[in-house]
Amino acid sequence: MFVISCPYCGARDQSEFSYGGEAHIARPEWREDMSDAEWADFVFMRSNPKGVLAERWVHSAGCRRFFNMLRNTATDEILAVYKIGERAPEVQAKLPATPCGEAPIGSGNDAVKVMQPGEAE
Amino acid sequence: MAENATKSSEAAAPPEGLTPPERRTPLALRQPVEGAPGTLRLAEMPFAGKFILRLDPASGGEAFREAAGLDLPAAPLMSVVNGERVVFWLGPDEFLLLVPEAEAAAFAEAVEKGLAGQHHQLVDVSDYYTAIEISGRKAREALMKLTTLDLHPCGFPVGHVAGSNFARAQGWLWLEHGEEETARFRLYVRWSMADYLWCVLADAGREWGVPEQIPAADETFLTESVHSKKA
Repeated sequence: MFVISCPYCGARDQSEFSYGGEAHIARPEWREDMSDAEWADFVFMRSNPKGVLAERWVHSAGCRRFFNMLRNTATDEILAVYKIGERAPEVQAKLPATPCGEAPIGSGNDAVKVMQPGEAE
Repeated sequence: MAENATKSSEAAAPPEGLTPPERRTPLALRQPVEGAPGTLRLAEMPFAGKFILRLDPASGGEAFREAAGLDLPAAPLMSVVNGERVVFWLGPDEFLLLVPEAEAAAFAEAVEKGLAGQHHQLVDVSDYYTAIEISGRKAREALMKLTTLDLHPCGFPVGHVAGSNFARAQGWLWLEHGEEETARFRLYVRWSMADYLWCVLADAGREWGVPEQIPAADETFLTESVHSKKA
């Protein structure tokens, strides 16, 4: 379970929140000659990074306001929370420190897990 | 409550040929229940005037105060009380106004008049929510079983109001009175969730002797008098 800091209500349990998909995706202006590919790009295509992702969340059981969050998808660390309409702050994320980019813990891919000194097999 | 159901039907005589409207609360079939003395007591607080106000407090707060006679909460998650009138913070531009039922119509009119010209919205939700009062020195402990909110006195002081999930239902919890012996919470929940939450709250209080409450599966709505069913 995460504890998520709503920008209005403060720290609350994740069960009070709902996910709203990737943030900062503007609906394209309607044009007569818009192709299906362009429309599909807006509807379906998402960046899906392993690392920092800006996403929308809504505090659905509390103040019911949408807000944005920067989350490290590799470690689930919440890096920043900011209101709708604000610019994403610059953040420094600790990206996975393993040879192939896997998270050192929690990835389930033990074959690439880098053992820390003193850590038991 | 059952007594209130009769009171409202006496108030206005219906036109000839129509059956009297049977106004009842979501928990009309429930009587207040209590565990061991002073531990936990549940009761419904029926028939208050409730309004949702959408208003930017920065531009409309002053006009609201003049019209309603009380301020909007200055900080998130707080309430303002003036006599029997209460304002809850629900969101940065959303507030719940509570007034006694008798004053509700005049209050709404005064607020609408005072906010004329302001960008705002006032909606009567009196029959949409009901309030369950949870009181006694085990009130905090009983609510802790239902919610992930931090209910420690440091995190949830008097006057605090917070929306959260309570068991499987969403509601607004307000701490009206904080002294341990006389702690009094009010839980504002939607009509359809009220009986469910009543039973879950009674279940949470079983360890202090609150009697078991069976969900009202076969309740009849509106057509049949509550009293004839109870008799």
